[in-house]
Amino acid sequence: MSEQRRSHTAVSRRTFLRTVGIGAAVVAPGLAATPARAQETPSPIRPDPAAKRGGTLRYAVHTAVAHYDVQQSGTVANIGPQSPMYDTLLRRDPKDGQTIIPDLAWKYEIAPDGKKYTFYLRKGVKFHDGADFTAEDVKATFDRIARPPKGVVIPRTPLFATVGEIVVVNPHQVEFRMTEPRPRAYMLGAFASGWNIIVRKKTLDDNGGNLRQVMNYPGTGPFKHVERRDKEVWIMERNQNYWNKGLPYVDRLEIYHAPPFSPELASAFLSGKVDYARLLDPVAWRRAKEMKGVTAAAFNQSVIQAFWCNQKKNKALNDPRVRRAIHLAMDRNALIEVVKDTAPMQIGGFVYPFHEMSTPKADLEKKLGYQKDIKPAVQEARRLMQEAGYGQGLKGLDFVVRDIQTFKLWAVAIQAMLKEHINVETNLRVVQTSVWFDEAAAGNFDLAISAIVSTLMDPSDIFSAWYGKNGPQNYGGWVNEPFHDLASRIEKELDVKKRTAMVRQAEDMCEKDPPLIPVAYEQIYDAWYNKVHGQNPTPYFGIYDVVRWDQVWVS
Amino acid sequence: MRKYLLRRALFGLGTLIGVSMIIFVVLRVLPGDPLVAILGVEGHARMQPADRVRIMADLGLSDPLPVQYLRWLRDIATGQLGKSFFRGDTVRDLILHRGPLSAEIALLALIVSWLVGLPAGIASAVRPNGWLDTVARVVSIFFIAVPGFWLGLLIVLALLFWFGYKAPIIIVHVWENPWQNLQQVIGPAIVLGLAQGAYISRMSRSCLLEVIREDYVRTARAKGADERAIVLRHALPNALLPVITISGVLLGFVLGGSVAVEQAFGVPGLGRALVTAIVERDIIVVQNLVLLYAAIFVVVNVFVDLSYAWLDPRIRY
Repeated sequence: MSEQRRSHTAVSRRTFLRTVGIGAAVVAPGLAATPARAQETPSPIRPDPAAKRGGTLRYAVHTAVAHYDVQQSGTVANIGPQSPMYDTLLRRDPKDGQTIIPDLAWKYEIAPDGKKYTFYLRKGVKFHDGADFTAEDVKATFDRIARPPKGVVIPRTPLFATVGEIVVVNPHQVEFRMTEPRPRAYMLGAFASGWNIIVRKKTLDDNGGNLRQVMNYPGTGPFKHVERRDKEVWIMERNQNYWNKGLPYVDRLEIYHAPPFSPELASAFLSGKVDYARLLDPVAWRRAKEMKGVTAAAFNQSVIQAFWCNQKKNKALNDPRVRRAIHLAMDRNALIEVVKDTAPMQIGGFVYPFHEMSTPKADLEKKLGYQKDIKPAVQEARRLMQEAGYGQGLKGLDFVVRDIQTFKLWAVAIQAMLKEHINVETNLRVVQTSVWFDEAAAGNFDLAISAIVSTLMDPSDIFSAWYGKNGPQNYGGWVNEPFHDLASRIEKELDVKKRTAMVRQAEDMCEKDPPLIPVAYEQIYDAWYNKVHGQNPTPYFGIYDVVRWDQVWVS
Repeated sequence: MRKYLLRRALFGLGTLIGVSMIIFVVLRVLPGDPLVAILGVEGHARMQPADRVRIMADLGLSDPLPVQYLRWLRDIATGQLGKSFFRGDTVRDLILHRGPLSAEIALLALIVSWLVGLPAGIASAVRPNGWLDTVARVVSIFFIAVPGFWLGLLIVLALLFWFGYKAPIIIVHVWENPWQNLQQVIGPAIVLGLAQGAYISRMSRSCLLEVIREDYVRTARAKGADERAIVLRHALPNALLPVITISGVLLGFVLGGSVAVEQAFGVPGLGRALVTAIVERDIIVVQNLVLLYAAIFVVVNVFVDLSYAWLDPRIRY
């Protein structure tokens, strides 16, 4: 009896360890998946012990908002002043502007087949009006982005075209179920985009899903709204209840309005009226660079400058040989020189020249159309025109030019290059921006010069928007079935190596049959007094992702 | 007098109704889509026809033009002056916030123009073809010829590069900080005032030369009156009438010129708001500001007419 009892009550060392091991194995994943409170799930952006707290950061950027709905916007005028008041699910690390790190989601998982994204949300996060942040807010935010109501236009909608359903698993867990997979970098980039700020479900419900005229809607961000004076200044104060304890460093953020490349911006910065200036003109930037106690940085911007050939209206321009001839007739080094005191630019082809999948710069510069010596390109252009039956050139092309300084300067230079190199004569027609888009949409042009912004650097974003058969920015009406087929495969390809090879193939197709004529890719010039610490945008891509100022301090 | 005022008021009202109709129609027939500014170029490119219909309806732009015009008149009558298309701010608030700055600039410019133009004109007229007259004429022609915005830019750049100075970058009202406010308005006021002063100098010179040759001036001299008293007490008041007339007209130029000069100095006044609204195609703001400028012009001209009677007792209305 006693032996029997012993066998039931005594626990051997092996049994004990096995039991504990099994128990730990069962409990541990549950603990890991249990969303902890905000402070228990620290952000990768940790407060710097060396940072000085307090003070005011005076930042100058374009803030002339046409409306207040960040998600409906496509301009720095919104994202510049409003972003510090909001957070995103994921974000780009301010250290390099590239690495994607958690934000309101402290953890995420991607299903192996790429068809499900699960986000684990922080607990204890509050909106500025005191309401709790929950998965319902994430669902409402992304439902609106993916499927906007009538009268609401969100430029990032196509990035979420494959989001079939957004499911709230519990108040702090949300799943995005995809109809088909997309490359990891593409989707994560979309979630981390500075445009996709999280707003309250109630805010959206109360305003019919349209925030264009709602000036101060609550966010969860590091700064809270204090005061706004239209086209003057937007003042914010530190959010004392910010979930990332210890941030932000500065007590007050004053964001002054100064149009890009303007004398107002230059004079505000050079006279010390502001601490940090974004989008300086090249002349002021060079001067700032020479100033003591000032740092000046240049970085890549998500904008292509290009002109379009109307293939629907003009038979000659529908011939790929003529378009390639026009492409080769451009002396791109000279074009960059023409605007060097107006806006900073760099040479590129049909994909962002600084993207890891695009043709490396050294190789691109060996290609016809990008070389410093343009004679071989011009010879080839003339041969192509001859072959296409336009050896005598073309006359009377209507060249529509947006009334912006860089385009006006370029249009004259392009006009001269076309005439001199391939005897194509154009009549310049300078129009206001709003008229340009009317004319482009109606197809009232032969050539038209403008610029396009993209949200992601990923080629699939631009292949659908710029070059897609019905792409919103395919102003020339370009159709190339093999390209569209390839672009569709690139969009779905999850293997990075295979995808890179396919992108290079797509670039080659564009070289032979140009969907547009790339002129240049924009750069951004920033400068700041050295009392501003915690941000150096040199490795950034664009001005739309790292825009929150929570990691910046003033000495 | 009362009858005259009534007649002028009715005439002014007719002028303003005419201006309102012209600006209303012009802004609506001009090519260009205001939705480009609202949605941005990327949003505009992705806009579906149904979105357009909805947004145009929300903005009231799909209503018939007479309905839109009457709605605007109602907004004027209620004092709201309508709302900006984009952000929903009322135009009244815009005018109340930025108007004082532009009004200060106009008033100071007028004072500068008289302070500079009148003495220059008198000095020129007293010694015609002398060295002072020559200098005054050359300088006045220079300020008439040089565009105000260009001069403004030069001043801004010179102050910035030589002294690292820039005026305050946001509006500082005179009741908030008079010194900072003065820094903000003095530059545009001087540039505009010098240009208008040049006209006043030219006009006062020619008027004074004409009056100085009158019999009563010759009589005063024959009686041995002091030359300064002859010019300032007898000749100048009679020479001032055309100068006052031109000042009324010049105020219109100051208002028009302030649009470019405010831009050059980066002063956020009404002129700059008008430029931005035109670029954005915010037609509600544009039509109200243009109407405001027209109303100021009409009122100033009525005051100029009334000042004739005060300056010259022979004139009665």
